[in-house]
Order: sequence, then structure tokens, then C-alpha cells
Amino acid sequence: MTSIHIVTDENKVGYEAVLDEYFRLRHEIFVGERGWRDLARPDGRDVDAYDNEQATYLIALDDGRVVGGLRLYPTLLPHMISESFAHLVRGRDVLSGPTILECTRYFIVRERRTGRTDCRLLAAFQQFCLEEGITEVTAVVEMWWLPRWQQAGFKVRPLGLPTLIEGQPCIAAAIQVSSDSLRHVSRLAGLRGSCLVRAEAHAFIDRVPHVAA
Amino acid sequence: MSGRSLDHTVQAFEFIEELDRLASPQAIIDAMGRSFAQFGFENFIMTGLPHPEQQIESLVLLKKWPLGWYERYTRNSYDRHDPVIHLCRRTVQPFEWSEARFDPETNPRGKEIMQGAADFGMRQGYCLPIHGLNGFEACLSMSGPDLDLTPQAKPAIHLMTMYAFERARLVLAPSPRPNPLTTREREALRWAALGKSAADTGEILGVTERTITAHIGSACTKLSAANKTHAVARALQHRLIEI
Repeated sequence: MTSIHIVTDENKVGYEAVLDEYFRLRHEIFVGERGWRDLARPDGRDVDAYDNEQATYLIALDDGRVVGGLRLYPTLLPHMISESFAHLVRGRDVLSGPTILECTRYFIVRERRTGRTDCRLLAAFQQFCLEEGITEVTAVVEMWWLPRWQQAGFKVRPLGLPTLIEGQPCIAAAIQVSSDSLRHVSRLAGLRGSCLVRAEAHAFIDRVPHVAA
Repeated sequence: MSGRSLDHTVQAFEFIEELDRLASPQAIIDAMGRSFAQFGFENFIMTGLPHPEQQIESLVLLKKWPLGWYERYTRNSYDRHDPVIHLCRRTVQPFEWSEARFDPETNPRGKEIMQGAADFGMRQGYCLPIHGLNGFEACLSMSGPDLDLTPQAKPAIHLMTMYAFERARLVLAPSPRPNPLTTREREALRWAALGKSAADTGEILGVTERTITAHIGSACTKLSAANKTHAVARALQHRLIEI
């Protein structure tokens, strides 16, 4: 069964193989499938300026295989909306604050798009944000995602009008973090409890390979 | 041009804020009628897309359509042949009705449908597909004799329709909140709704008048109602009791 792992700078040592697979899938999906040519890299890994020690990843794993993921980044730092998509925000008044994160690079692998993986990742996302005291999450998203979020029970407020990006109408929006939304999406995901895995770095220490001097 | 697109932004955001205050399907239809008239829309329908064994009538959320056209459309199951519905299933992007091409050879009824709509004043149209979670498919299709579908207007219309759809879905969904009233409180209110006094109700239920008055009192508190009449009205309005 799919579980969603929190991967941060602190515990990434235990997720090396997972992260490599995750960046490879991002390249496959965002460059290969969606055609975001600007992200193309010869090593076939989508890694950008925001993949740094400030980023938190929620990665959906099934039997050790990556089936989806998203990236969260603090809005107090220069982030994608403030640096690249401020024109999508009404009055260029970019939303930022200590309890506001930005979500980017959301994906589910192709063979899992008809099932409940979306709802599981969205449930883990709400739960993680609640646990971390996050109140809102901003994102730029293709318009056809908006009713899906709403159907998942998310309260989403638009930050500007839809604007064409790579020929697709996209919108900057803020998702409210709430226990109501978590309850609703957990029900849709068929979850009785949590599917969020928070592994401490020390749990992996034994597994870190010793490097010969 | 930027002045105009700014107007559209203001208009879209005001409409979205207004939607939050609307509690009934008719209120949403009225607000949509007013707001979308500014783009030339006179008619619209918000509906789920039927599976082969479903009737479209059972999936319609909201509509402002000429009655004659709705009757003709449903009587003839036009949704099976409607080029707009066909395209709606295949794209996530909004499109103008004129973009919904069809081959008169393979779909002879396509022309009959588009012509029929035009005869009812629905000459131009704009359709906004919705592809939700778990295979849910729906659309909002809007029309009028002369539309403002400029590149400035379309993004505003797109955003407004997605929020109108969400509001309609929430208002029409069965209340997810459990009934706050106990069985006894519901019984007391139901008899009150039928004109019985507390004494009558006590006699019917085999308890004292004072007990009934206490049930009504606690129901009033739960419903933030000023008195028994107010509580009955609220309970009926929110379908907490039925008579």
C-alpha cells in the first residue's frame, strides 16, 4: 500500500536511492510528458535552484517504488512564484509568511493516475501541513486541477486570473490547510489512519554505507 | 486593454466572493445570470456527463435554458449526439461551440442539434469541461446570440465558472453534518410544525408538557432560534425534520 514519506535535508541520507528515482521521474514527467523543455538536462534528472536544503519533499512510495510526489518550499525565501510567476498574482502582491509554503512539481506516475494515489498524496499533504503549523500553501497549477482540488474538499482561493503558460491556462492559488479538508480527502482516499511516514535520520545510520578511506 | 482586463479581474473576484454567501441553487442561478450577462450569455446548463445507461436529466445541477429546448433536448436524448458533449469528454480545456466539429455523415443529428439550439437564440456558446477525481465528468455550457469571448474575457469566465460549479456542488450535496437534534427533540418539533401545543404533544408521546417544553427549549438553543416557531422554521429549512 502507498505510504507518503517526508524527506528533508535532515533525513535525506536514508533516501538516496529514492531521491534519485524521484528526480529521474520528475524529468520523465515534466520534460518528457508535459514538454517543459527548459528543464531538460543531459543527466535525465530534473533538479532546479529550489532543490536545496530548504526544500521538503512528500514522496509517495509503493513497495519502495516512487509513484508520486510534491515539493514544499518556504515563501519567506525567494521562491518560484516570487521569482518567476509574480505576474500571475493580482497586483503582483505575492503571498508569503512563516506559516505559508509553496508547493511545486506535483506529480503521480502515469499508471497510478486513475486510482486513489492522488487522494493519498493530497491527504498526506494536508496532514503534514497541519502537523507543521502551516496555514496556507500557494501553488501555480493548470486550471483543470482546480475542480479536482475542490472535489477533494480543499478550500482554494485564487490569487489572480488564469494565464497561459506553455499554452495551458494556469492559475496561482492558495490552498487553506484545515482538519476538515484532511477528513474529507482521507475519506476519498479510503484511509482509516495516517499514510504519512516521518523517519528520523538516526533510523538510517546503520544503513549508511561506510566509505573506505 | 489593460483597463478592461483589470475590470474582468475585479468582476471575477467579486463574483467568487458573492458565491460564498449563496445558499440555494436558485440564488446561484440568479447570480450567474447577472454576472455572465456581462459577457453576453443568456443561457447556461451545469450538468454531469451521462454514462451510457444514465439519463442526462438526473445529472443536471443547474440550468437556465429555454424550457422548450430543454424538453426537446432531453426527449430526444440529444446528449448522445451533441458535438459539444462529445468534445467535452475529450478535452480539459474550455472551447467555443464552433470548435466542436462533427462529421454530418457519421453524426447527422449533430447539425440538427446545433441548428435547434440556434433557433432558441443559442447561436454561440462556450463550454467548460470538468474532469474531476475518480472519473467524474461534468461541464458548464453557456450560450447567447452575441458573446464577448475576447482573450481578456475568457480567463475571467473560466475562473468564474469553476467556482460557480464548486458552489453548486456544495449547495446541492447532502449535508455532511449529522443532525444535531435528538430523536425526542425532532419529534417535539415535528408535532409543533403540525400545529400541536406542548400539552397536545405531551399527551401524544405520553410525557408531561414540561418535558416537551424542555425538548423544544434545547432544540431552540441548538438551532440558535428565538422561539418555537423560529426553531420549526430552521429545522425545516435545514431538513432536520420532515413533515
